[in-house]
Amino acid sequence: MSGAEIARQDRIRELARQALTEGKVDYFIGWKAGHVPSEVIPAFVRNVDECDMLLWNPLCHHNLTTFLKRKMPDPPDARIGVCVKGCDSRTLVALLQETLVDKERLYVVGVPCDGIIDRRRLEKAFSDEVIDIAFQGEQVVVTTRGGETKELAYEELLLEQCASCDFPNPRYYDDLAGELLPQPEGPPRFPGLEEYEALSAEEKDRVLADAFATCIRCFACIHVCPVCYCWDQCVNRSRRPALVGQKVAAKENLMFQMVHMFHVAGRCPSCGACDRSCPVEIPLYLLHRKMNKELFEMLGFQAGLNVEDKPVFQTFNIDDALGEQ
Amino acid sequence: MTDSSGNVKIIAIVCNWCSYAGADGAGTARLKQPYDFRVMRVPCTGRVDPLLALKAFEKGADGVLISGCHPGDCHYSEGNYYARRKFELLKRMLPHLGIEPERYTYTWVSASEAARWQQVVTNFVTKVGELGPRQGGAL
Ligand code: SF4
Ligand code: SF4
Ligand code: FES
Repeated sequence: MSGAEIARQDRIRELARQALTEGKVDYFIGWKAGHVPSEVIPAFVRNVDECDMLLWNPLCHHNLTTFLKRKMPDPPDARIGVCVKGCDSRTLVALLQETLVDKERLYVVGVPCDGIIDRRRLEKAFSDEVIDIAFQGEQVVVTTRGGETKELAYEELLLEQCASCDFPNPRYYDDLAGELLPQPEGPPRFPGLEEYEALSAEEKDRVLADAFATCIRCFACIHVCPVCYCWDQCVNRSRRPALVGQKVAAKENLMFQMVHMFHVAGRCPSCGACDRSCPVEIPLYLLHRKMNKELFEMLGFQAGLNVEDKPVFQTFNIDDALGEQ
Repeated sequence: MTDSSGNVKIIAIVCNWCSYAGADGAGTARLKQPYDFRVMRVPCTGRVDPLLALKAFEKGADGVLISGCHPGDCHYSEGNYYARRKFELLKRMLPHLGIEPERYTYTWVSASEAARWQQVVTNFVTKVGELGPRQGGAL
């Protein structure tokens, strides 16, 4: 692991320890080692002596903001410490913009991030089970059960969204775990869409029909989404109105996903948590990233940048140059 | 004027106060209109969730037209200002979902614009008629 990564991890532990000792928070949410070496999982730390289990490395993909969303905090009035990366912080800002979480009860540790690894891609690169992953500078050293050891370039394992990240620094935080990174210049990037966009209407229909035929409606994409929070009131769970059919088939499943996508438009910054959670690997980024690309082209809008901004669909401008004037 | 082909199903989502009245006016004035669209009346375009249009496509509609009061004329003052942002996003997303751009439009028709209503639906139905029925596998 690079010096910067270790420094960030130490700082996260230190800030968590401080917050718990001072009684500033009831618990602190960070990341800890999972059951397999390629997975890091969320950690809820309640005691000072547990702080050393907190981790920071390029496998910390979970967007922990999801634990703050409406009705989630346990108990509802808990004071919570939470770690956020750049993309995670944008979902937190989106919730703050709509006062869906209480700023006063949060203690936010911002973590500057060099990019998260696509663990699925990493695992698929080996036919054998991965038993160890070590981060050494720019290299990722992977060892398999059969004893094979391979060095892979960190850069090449990055999630597509991280390889062209526009916001490596948190947009909102109380304390920082580490030095801010240089802010990339230029307009926002929306990678991975070109190939699909070049298809004909018929081909797109085919691609989507094939992808969504495999959706099992597990709700993982919706539950993990930090800015999707209607719970029992969600039209996806309702038969009245019968907007989404009960049949689990391509059309109904895409409709189910459109409910998610259209209803988070304006809050979703394409954090990618939904893509990573989908057990059948449906490329949900094709929908949310495209939506964000269009929102940017339409109105120059980007979700979750500043707490005082208004989400795009909760306001309007009489001079919006949209449709017939 | 092109006659409707009669082979397509079109849903027109219209607000009660302007476009519905405009369409009604066109009927009262016996203006010749295509017959292959069905009208869904809503209180205001502000009530229209883009999912209604997607649902129509999912259920086999070949085209969806949304129409409300002209900007500035909404009977609830600002419903259509909010709505047009959503309608525009929908317009940009539909081709991405495998639905040809000609199959969706949003526009504004006032209560006194019976002739404009006639023209809007005729043009839209003609264009959708040229594409013919959809065979969507995804939506
Ligand atoms: S996570 Fe994937 S399989 Fe589960 S409901 Fe979402 S799209 Fe469907
Ligand atoms: S829809 Fe997906 S990418 Fe967007 S905020 Fe929710 S989890 Fe993140
Ligand atoms: S009442 Fe017609 S658009 Fe609002």
